[in-house]
Amino acid sequence: MTDKTILTVDNLALSYGSNPILKGVSMQLRRGEVVSLLGPSGSGKTTLLRAVAGLEQPHHGSVAIAGRAIYDAAAGIDIPAEKRELGLVFQSYALWPHKTVFDNVAYPLKLRKIAQNEIVQRVHAALKNLGLDHLAERYPHQLSGGQQQRVSIARALVYNPPVILLDEPLSNLDAKMREEARAWLRNLIVEMQLSALVVTHDQSEAMAMSDRILLLNGGVIEQQGTPTEMYGQPQTFFVADFMGSNNIMTGRIGDIRGGEARIDLDNGISVWGLRRTNAAIGHEARAVARVEQLQLTDGPGDNRAEIELATSMFLGDRFEYVFHAGKDLLRAWGKRHEDAGKRWLEFPRDSVWIF
Amino acid sequence: MRPGASPLSLKVTLMLQTLPRRAVVALLALSVFFPIGLVLYQSILSGPFFMPSTTLSLESFAFIFDDPDFWQALKNTLAVAIGMSLIAIPLGAILAFIMVRTDLPGRRWLEVPIMIPIFVSPVVLGFGYVVSLGPVGFFSVWFESLFGSVPWNIYSLTAIIIIAGLTHVPHVYLYSSSALRNLGSDVEEAARLSGASPFRVARDVSIPMVSPALLYVGVLVFFLGFEIFGLPLILGDPEGHLVLTTYLYKLTNKLGTPSYHLMAAVATCIIAVTFPLVLLQRALLKSAQRFVSMKGKSARQRPLALGIWKWLALALILGWLFVTVVTPVAGIALRSVVSSWGQGINLLEVLTLDHFHAVFEEQTMIRSIINSILIGTLGGALAVGGYLAIGLATHRQPDGLSRFVDYIVLTPRAVPGLMAGLAVFWVFLFVPFLAPLRSTLFSVWFAYAVVWLAYGMRLIQSALMQVGPELEEAGRLVGASRARVSRDITVPLIRNGLLGAWLLIFMIFEREYSTGVYLLSPGTEVIGAQIVSLWASGAVDVVAALSLINMALVGIGLAIALRFGVKLHD
Repeated sequence: MTDKTILTVDNLALSYGSNPILKGVSMQLRRGEVVSLLGPSGSGKTTLLRAVAGLEQPHHGSVAIAGRAIYDAAAGIDIPAEKRELGLVFQSYALWPHKTVFDNVAYPLKLRKIAQNEIVQRVHAALKNLGLDHLAERYPHQLSGGQQQRVSIARALVYNPPVILLDEPLSNLDAKMREEARAWLRNLIVEMQLSALVVTHDQSEAMAMSDRILLLNGGVIEQQGTPTEMYGQPQTFFVADFMGSNNIMTGRIGDIRGGEARIDLDNGISVWGLRRTNAAIGHEARAVARVEQLQLTDGPGDNRAEIELATSMFLGDRFEYVFHAGKDLLRAWGKRHEDAGKRWLEFPRDSVWIF
Repeated sequence: MRPGASPLSLKVTLMLQTLPRRAVVALLALSVFFPIGLVLYQSILSGPFFMPSTTLSLESFAFIFDDPDFWQALKNTLAVAIGMSLIAIPLGAILAFIMVRTDLPGRRWLEVPIMIPIFVSPVVLGFGYVVSLGPVGFFSVWFESLFGSVPWNIYSLTAIIIIAGLTHVPHVYLYSSSALRNLGSDVEEAARLSGASPFRVARDVSIPMVSPALLYVGVLVFFLGFEIFGLPLILGDPEGHLVLTTYLYKLTNKLGTPSYHLMAAVATCIIAVTFPLVLLQRALLKSAQRFVSMKGKSARQRPLALGIWKWLALALILGWLFVTVVTPVAGIALRSVVSSWGQGINLLEVLTLDHFHAVFEEQTMIRSIINSILIGTLGGALAVGGYLAIGLATHRQPDGLSRFVDYIVLTPRAVPGLMAGLAVFWVFLFVPFLAPLRSTLFSVWFAYAVVWLAYGMRLIQSALMQVGPELEEAGRLVGASRARVSRDITVPLIRNGLLGAWLLIFMIFEREYSTGVYLLSPGTEVIGAQIVSLWASGAVDVVAALSLINMALVGIGLAIALRFGVKLHD
């Protein structure tokens, strides 16, 4: 454990009755780092966050903040939530409706028996920092969704917790606000040098906001790494499929040459790609290629196939081409409108993963 | 405490934090199990438990099983319980269907009157029937002068069953209406389009679909049939129709000496029937709720057009209200302002306020009114406070202790008020340090609070369930202990629910009569118990005045509750 590690989760397991939710999860969060817990619903990401917060009861493993155990099944340590000194921003914001914005943010300081004048000063500083100082006397129901979110963040930060936990922080905002809020939140976290653990189910949100991503699947960590690693070098089919928009095709391994393999697809196309499976020649496999990597070309060449372009769709900033290849619908992006008909499509060798 | 402190000191802190919770549960268990345990223990003794010569024996059971009156009372009780279920369930279900699913004119205005029988003391209702429909009742006299004779006998067992059935319609209405509210209207519209009349729709579609709720309420009404005391006490007395509760009450005078062991034996017999019924209700309620939640909320509701049928529906409801509410209430109101009544008496000549003067001249009557108000307001607030403490002790802590509390809360439900009052009386009589409190209002309050524990807890728990769990979790995360979260977040958020609970408990405590019967002594008079005692002495004038005052108190509570928008049911 290095000095830089602020949060350590080691082999944490948790069940609801006989139903295992977390099956031994280990992770670390370094000081000043933003880590996203990403995964489909039911993958255990929110449960992991809540277990760190002390709101769920694991039965195995340990959690430590700055080297001090806050949960350790073996040693019988389980610090109650209120003594863990963590900040949590709830998905629903969980602002107390009977308290004003000021009182919501002041409550953690009041619990810490801080002098009244210092409370006033610190709450106003926190609200000012988040652009809320003019709303101090309002009640939560008088605020917009975005303002409520900021109050909720102010409340979680006002007592300077070593780690801030955010549970789907953007999911209650409408689509247009979400992108702005994403940039604002990332900027805030970097500026204030916070160590943050963020739960999200949206892969682009995770990539935009975090330094590292942990992708959970069925209660275990499928893969972790920087956003570029997660997107560009998926180690499993699940990761490749979950990140980005993909063309997925099934077939059989036709040839193997070192790190590359040729897959003979059920739709009749044969392509070379990066081999990510131990399956031998003749065995079933799947090819995954990102939509933005497929290229419309003028004629035949390496890893190209002539297939039927069915239609072009205008998406505003680009066109999406829809191809028919056997039973598969393949998608690619381009700058111009293209008429339907036979076209050559390139599958760049280093952009096709074979699982 | 610093994170990483030793496990031992952690455990000590944890124990200190859960101490108030354990204390609340221990006090609750003692309050419930000690009086009931005392009844069960007393039933297997040969005499009153405080007599030195008393031994363990089953002779009390032998005695009552040998008494033909006991078997007659049991038979009557079964007849009442079954008969009133057969009347209340179909009527209540139809009433619920009309009120919830149809476009009956004036539905909104009828909602409150329908609930009135729940809030009027049964002993007051029984008295109201005597002065309205009794041999020289107002209505009987008027009817006789028109038609020559009266075809009914208010003192017959049949009359008791019919009146008990009619006055329990609101209980059925409550549960079936909330089940019907959760039903999508498309299923009814489909039946309507297939050619069914509104009443066929109710009979063939809507009511069968809420049958789990009806099954639950059927068991509830049957169970209430075992508990009723006020109606058979007043209506059954002239012709000597006993039910188990009135048999128990009459036992007091049967042998001259305090026949505690016999009373305990009868009580034990009643509990042996009611306790399984309470457990059955609990199981049925759970399955009924599952049935309802399966329907989902997406189904829209559109009222069914009654068309020409609406006059029949309206006549049905108004007729029921006339017999169940107007007749007894008007009878009492009238009886309280006339000096005497009978054939050929001119109303204007006998009008008087003497009965009220009589009430306000006698010290015990004034005391009983003041005590009733005190027990409703202050006692109601204290009871809500106690229920809140229990509610918070188990709130969102699904562990063994909370399940234990669930069952404790259920237990007093199985003990009719009359017997609970008796048990509490014994506790206060013979526990040395409690004895001085027996002749204070505290003993009555304690009995009331225990008898209405299950009802009060339901009010508190439904209020607590309204609080989003994340609001409390947010409190924990920013550093508040469980107790602090309760004080600063949970309780302030359910203020309105607590106010509503207080008002409902006020009404229930004003209405209560049987629990105070055995606790009646100088200083502990409450109106309900006072009426029971005065009725035995035949003081009809004063009973009429007290009954009216009692209804007025409940009415004030009801008016305030409606003013604050308190829901009369959940």
